[in-house]
This record gives sequence, C-alpha cells and structure tokens, in this order.
Amino acid sequence: MRRGIVGNLLLAGGLGFIAVIVLLPFWWVISSSIKQTSEIISITPTMVPHSFTLAHFDKLLRSSDFPRFLANSLIVAAGAMAITVVLAALAGYAFFRLKFPGQGLLYRLILVGYAFPGIVVLVPLYGMMSAAHLIDSLLALIIIDVTFALPFAIWMMRAFLVAVPSEVEEAARLDGASHMTVLTRIIVPMIAPGLASVAIFAFVSSWTEYLFASVLIQSDAHKTLPVGLAGIIGQYQVDWGLMLAGATLTTVPVVILFAFIGRYFVTGLTTGAVK
Amino acid sequence: MASVSLKDIHKSFGRTEVIKGVDLEIADGDFVVLVGPSGCGKSTLLRMIAGLEDVTAGEVFIGGRQVTEVAPGDRNVSMVFQSYALYPHMSVYENLAFALRMARMKQAEIDRRVRDAARILHIEEFLDRKPAKLSGGQRQRVALGRAIVRDVEVLLFDEPLSNLDAALRVEMRLELMNLHERMKRTMIYVTHDQVEAMTLADKIVVLEAGLVRQVGSPTELYEHPANTFVAGFIGSPRMNFMKAEVVEASASRVRVQSADIGTAELPIDGAGLQAGTEVTIGIRPEDVDLGGEGGIRIEATVEFIEYLGRETSLEGRMKGGHSITALIEGKFSADRGAAVSLSFQPQSCHLFDTRGNACRRLLSPAGGSPVAVGR
Amino acid sequence: MRHRRSRRARREALFAWLLGAPVILWLGATLVYPLVASMIYSVENIRIIGSPGAFVGLSNYVAILTDPDFWMAFLRSLIWVVGNSVAQVFLAFISALILAQAFPGVRIARIWIILTWIVPTIVIVIVWRWLLSTSGGMINPLLMELGIIDSPIGFFSTSVSAMATLVLINSWRWFPFIAVMLLAGIQRIPGDLYEAATVDGVSGFQQFRHITMPLLQPTIFVLTIIGTLLSFNVFDIVWLLTGGGPADATTTLPILIYRTAFKGYRLSEAAAMSVVATVVLMGFALLAVRTLAPSREDK
Repeated sequence: MRRGIVGNLLLAGGLGFIAVIVLLPFWWVISSSIKQTSEIISITPTMVPHSFTLAHFDKLLRSSDFPRFLANSLIVAAGAMAITVVLAALAGYAFFRLKFPGQGLLYRLILVGYAFPGIVVLVPLYGMMSAAHLIDSLLALIIIDVTFALPFAIWMMRAFLVAVPSEVEEAARLDGASHMTVLTRIIVPMIAPGLASVAIFAFVSSWTEYLFASVLIQSDAHKTLPVGLAGIIGQYQVDWGLMLAGATLTTVPVVILFAFIGRYFVTGLTTGAVK
Repeated sequence: MASVSLKDIHKSFGRTEVIKGVDLEIADGDFVVLVGPSGCGKSTLLRMIAGLEDVTAGEVFIGGRQVTEVAPGDRNVSMVFQSYALYPHMSVYENLAFALRMARMKQAEIDRRVRDAARILHIEEFLDRKPAKLSGGQRQRVALGRAIVRDVEVLLFDEPLSNLDAALRVEMRLELMNLHERMKRTMIYVTHDQVEAMTLADKIVVLEAGLVRQVGSPTELYEHPANTFVAGFIGSPRMNFMKAEVVEASASRVRVQSADIGTAELPIDGAGLQAGTEVTIGIRPEDVDLGGEGGIRIEATVEFIEYLGRETSLEGRMKGGHSITALIEGKFSADRGAAVSLSFQPQSCHLFDTRGNACRRLLSPAGGSPVAVGR
Repeated sequence: MRHRRSRRARREALFAWLLGAPVILWLGATLVYPLVASMIYSVENIRIIGSPGAFVGLSNYVAILTDPDFWMAFLRSLIWVVGNSVAQVFLAFISALILAQAFPGVRIARIWIILTWIVPTIVIVIVWRWLLSTSGGMINPLLMELGIIDSPIGFFSTSVSAMATLVLINSWRWFPFIAVMLLAGIQRIPGDLYEAATVDGVSGFQQFRHITMPLLQPTIFVLTIIGTLLSFNVFDIVWLLTGGGPADATTTLPILIYRTAFKGYRLSEAAAMSVVATVVLMGFALLAVRTLAPSREDK
C-alpha cells in the first residue's frame, strides 16, 4: 500500500513522538547528571548541558556505598538469570514436548502463579528465610527473584519449544539419542533465542526488584541497587545531582546487556506471544 | 538377516481405528513400497516399524527379532523424513556423524563412514555447511546420507521426494535405485505417487483405509490387479471401468453385454459368475486404440482431447452415456462432438465381480495370476 | 493390550516429572507454602513478625471487610488497574501500529522502545520525581514556556493529580512491553489479506477496521488480562513516589497491606487483606486462563 506524503508525514511524526516520550526523559537525566548543581536546579531547564562536572559521579562512587550496591545487584541478577534459564528450559521441555498425565493442568497452575501479589507471600517468606538463617543474604534474593520470574519464563519458552519440528526429535531418537541427549544436544541449541529472552527477562526483573530486597536485606553491605539508591536519596533529600548520577549508572548495565542481546529478547517476547 | 514382519497390526488414535489388521512379510534386501491415497495409513505403518508410534495390537519383527516394545533407537533402523528433519544447528558433517557418536564409535571410524557416505551422495563439498545454506535437493541427500552411515538392517523412507520439483525427483529416484543396488539393504518406502512405486519397487503394498488391498510386483499389480481399487490406483491415466451384465460364464470365457459395447466375449475365468449379474469391465487407456480391426469396437463422440507430445489423451462418450479414456500414440485432433471409432482387444480386458474382486485373466501378455493379500 | 503402551510411555512420563520437579518443588516451597502460611496467619492474631498468635477464626476478615479504609484501598486499586489498562493499551496500540510500518529507523525503534521497561523502577522514580518537581524539574518549566500553564503544577499534591500522574508514569513504563507483543500480533496477520483487499478496492481505513481489528482482538484481549494482573500488584513505584499519599490518595491495596504489616504492626490483618486480594486475582486469572489456554488447543 502506498502512503501519500501526508501518510508519511504522519508516520514520521508518530515515530518521532514515540521516540521523544521514551528517550527524552532519559536524555534529560543523563545529560543533567553531568551538569553542575546550579544548572540542574535552575528555573530555566537546558536541553544541552551548559556546564560540565563529574562531581556527582565522584561523590556517588566514592562517598556512598553505590559500588557495593552495584556489585550485589549484579550477583543477584546473574544468579537469578542462570537458575531461571535452566529451570525454565527443563520444565518447558517437560511440559511442552514430553507426554505425562496432568501436564496441561500443571502448566495452567503455573500460569496462575503469575497472579500472585508479592505482598501475600512477603511475610511468610520472611519467616522462612529467617528460619533458614538466610535473612540479609543475597541467596535469599536470588531464590525469590527466580520464583517470580519462573511463570512468565516458562510461558515464554512455550512458543519456542513448540516450534521445534517433532521430526527432528524423532530423527534424533532414531539415531539412538536418549531423552536427555535430545534435550541437551538438539533442543537446547534450537531454542537458543528463547533461552536468551528468558535470560534477559530474569535479569531485568531481578535488577529492578525492590520490595523483597528492602525487607530481606538489612545491612548496608548486602543491599542491592534499588534499595541502596532509594536510601541514598532519602539521605540526601534534595541532592539532585547525586540522584541523577545514580540513576544514570543504574541504567547502564541493563542498557549494555540489551545492546547485545536485546534483539533476542524482543523476538522472544513476540514469539512468546503466539497464542 | 533384515526381514521385516508385521503380524495382525491394529492401530487406533483415540477411538478412530486407522490400521485395521495388517499382515506383511518383507524379505531381506527387498525394496518395498507402501502406496495408497492420503489417509490410508501408510505413514502410520512405517512409523510403527520405526517405533515412533506404538501399536495398539499386533507384533512387529525386524530381522526375526520381536521389536514391538523396543525403543526406536534400539531397533537398528534408520529413516528419511519427508521434511528431511536435519539438525539445523549442526553442519552436514555433524548431521551425518550424530548417530555414530550416539553409538560411541571411534572418531576415525566415524570420519571414514561420513566421508564415504558423502562421496556416494556427492555432498563432500558441503560437509562444513549448515542445512540452511543448502538447496532442497542437497538437503535431501544429507538426509539420505544420515540414513546410510549407520549399519542398519532396514532403511525407511517417508515420502522423501514429495518436496522436490519434478526434475529433481526423477534424478533422486535413480539415486535411490542405485543405492539399493549397491547396498542391498531392505528398504521400505512410503509414497502416494504410484509412478514412484512402479519404478522403485521390487514389491508394492497397496493400502486403502487401513487395510492391505494387494501385495505384488509392479508387473503383477499392473497386469493382475486384485480388485477395482488397485486397478484404478495403479496406472496413469486411470483405468476405464464399464459396467456390464453377464450373459453367460464359464471357466474359460465370459460373455458380457452392455449398452456401450454391445456384446463381447472375454478370455477370463468366470467360474462362479451367475448370468444376469452385474460386473465391471476394466480396460486401460493405453490399450484403447483408434479405429482398428477386430476386437471390441466402440463408437464414441469426442468430449475432450489433451495433446501430450508423445501421445494424445482422448476422452469420449460412449453410446450408453459413459465416458471412456483412450491414450493414442502421436498427435490426434478432432472437434468436440465429432464421432470417433475406438477399439480394444478382449485379452486386454480386466473383469471384476459385483464386489470389485478380479476374475482371473487367462491370456494376459505377462501370464500369471493375481496375488491378493488382505481381508 | 493397553499395558504395552505404558512401558515406554511410563518412562517418558517419569523423565518428564524429573525435569519438571525442580520447578514444581521450587514454586511449591516459595509460593504455595507461603500462601498457605499467609492464610494461617490471617486467622490468628499476630501483630509483629516472629511473635506467635492465637487462633481467632475469621475475626480479621470481618475487621477488614467492614473497614472503610480497606474498601477505599480496593477501590483505588480498581481505579489504578483500569486507568493503567486503558492508558497502556491505548499507547501500545498506537505505537504498535506505527512500528508495524516499514520506515527508516523503525527496526531500531522496535527494539529500543522497550527501554522504559528494562530500566529499574528506582530509576523511573528518580527520573520522574526530578522531572515533575516544582523546583528544578523539566516538565513544569517546559509547560510554562509553551504557555500551557502559568505557574508550576504540583503533580503530586492533589489526590486526583497524584493518582493520574502515577497512572501515566506507570503506563509510560509498561506500554512498550505491551506494544511489542501487540506488534507481534499485527505482524502475524498475513500480508496477503491486505493485498487482496487492496485489489478489491478496499480503502486503508476499511482494511484496518475489517482485517486488522478483528484479527487483533484476541491478542488485545490477552494483553489486557496480563496487563491487569501485573498492574494490580505494583508496589514499588507507588511507594517510592508518593508513599501512598497525599493523604492516602494513592494508597492502593498493596500499599495498604504493606503499611498494615510493617508500620501498623497488624500482621494478621495484613495477611487477611492479602488473602482477599489473592483470591480476587486468582479468580480473575483462572477465568482468563480458561479463556486463553483452553484444554484442547494446547500441544
């Protein structure tokens, strides 16, 4: 269908508008994090920085626990990512390519797990972690993050797993491969994009998690980024520069991750939406 | 010993029975083709031999061994799938080597076999490529290669040529025949294309709706089809069927009459046929000639002419109102509605009783008699 | 005859259970068990975490179901959910339509539009708290410069504006997620349909109305359900931006539960509230799942 000039203009305008509302806030934050405080809080906002200073970053990295928080978040997110991918792949294969009684029911039950408000299980989980002496440990967070990522992760895996032609599996079995071998040497390579999507999803979900991190972690040494940053902001109530620097640096890891495998995640999300 | 034996096989999917009792004996080294229309159960039968489908009842034997409960990987069979089912993330070499690796063969041996197979199938230059970078014909060869690298007793083929264009299909048919010549292994081949069946097979098994309608060599099936289904399925264009009435019948001849042909006497064993009963005469289009002296003569009006180069297909309407198709050598043209004289020889005729079963032909060119198996 | 099938099928079933077991055990321990524990708390009278409580039957439930604060919070949650669903689906739909076109830059846009979703909530909070602040932010000066307003708006100062602002911020955050999936739905519509329509002389708008919309309906439905479930449970963005204020104007149910448990030291009551919330959500989810994943179609 050919679009006229008007159509093209509208489209360009629409695309531009979306780009603006998504990117502009971030541009403002990032560009302002290198402005001097006076410019940040001035009445007339500036699109392009007029001043330049790295003082905010300096303060952030040196006089606060930010680096520590960053490290903690990385550990938790990486751990949650790894475990979620493995569990989701295994369960996905079981639910969607093998036959056993009750699999439909089980799958639907897991989907329902989606609906759980985190609040419901907050206190009992606190109690459980307490009993297991896991309070204030990163492991507890990893466990929780996996729990909340799994239902959606399995749902995402479904489309990828269902897309593998059964004949390829049959050929492998005829070739003498055991179920496990089929899974590891045939299925897994073929669903690699799906695994990448699940990985990103788990990482991002964990990276952003606030509620449980705030309740389960007590010492500053183990705080993750969202909680730590919120704490810093609370501390220095109106230190905008510090806040903006913090926001900038917290965004960086996910953006980097996304630059590399973002493509797969979007594909995974969209393929996962095949229903 | 790589014989295959199916005993009283039944298969149901849920409540639907798709295989209704099949017995089959396949000898070592045979090239057997399972053929039939869509839904007849030929693929299902093949998959049951492979172990990819469970049998609902009955037993499967391979090489004299009972394998009904045995996993596919342990049956010592290999299969070429219609969609080739190549491992997309592995190179051609790895695709060929996979089964051998599963069998824990030594690398040197694996390498030798893979390269041998690649050489036979002319795919050596592709060994490093992934399937996505190959053409359909090349992928086909890799699928074949995967089947032959192993020392299997039986090779199974599930409509492997269906996805190829006509020219490639002819080429691959030749390759398959060469392969069989060379390797002398038992091959079981499924197709819906009766031309493929006729050219490739030592023995053809014709299936309809879950039952075997006839087993025999291509010649047997062509000359002595056991029933109207097989007669109509084998041979292209399709055999002409005409209803007629028995005037009198004996063990050496049958006299029939119908509005289309008048009265005719056929050299067919009609013992058991009652006068007055309805029978079906079968005559293949290639046996129907223009004009001609002697034999059975038919006056028809031209309905449809298709010039095919080497021959012309003519469809005419007979006096009794039914159609007849003739395959005439060379070029023949006529206007629609023009009158034309056709004829065919009595000894070229087939005769089928009211239930569609064939009566024995006495003077057919190849001699012999129909061999029918099935219920 | 039947037992023949079982042997191999049984082995496969066993293997499947083995693979699925880790997930089932994991979720059982970390989701099901705590839920049950929560239900137990809700019928006791625990005030502080860790302290024991006695069985009190359904008195907690009675207390909350007769408490206007609870119902207000529930109502606010409903407003929150509806507001989010509408805003997100609306924004997502327009975006998806735009992203579905072939246009320079659209391919990158399809990937990076999701930026607002992958960024941690805390960053979103910082971003918007700063942008919307009355002293030094970007939005107020921008609006004043464009002549739209005369004096800075306190986005979080009145109950209506606070809720509206939160809804918009949360929608800004989530709409790309929905948009991307909606886009997939659009792209799955075979191009042939549009070509056939064009040849038949059907206008662009008509094509949209009669091809795109009907075929997209199921996807929109699915996404609305998912969006609803996700929105209901949102805690952090509300807590960090307004803390439930001003004057409880944005105290949705999750906020109320949190406050009741951790600030009000009425743990059992909070548990009762969360059980009620779960029941409502589960009911909704079960209904949705039955519509979305009917038994015959799977596999």
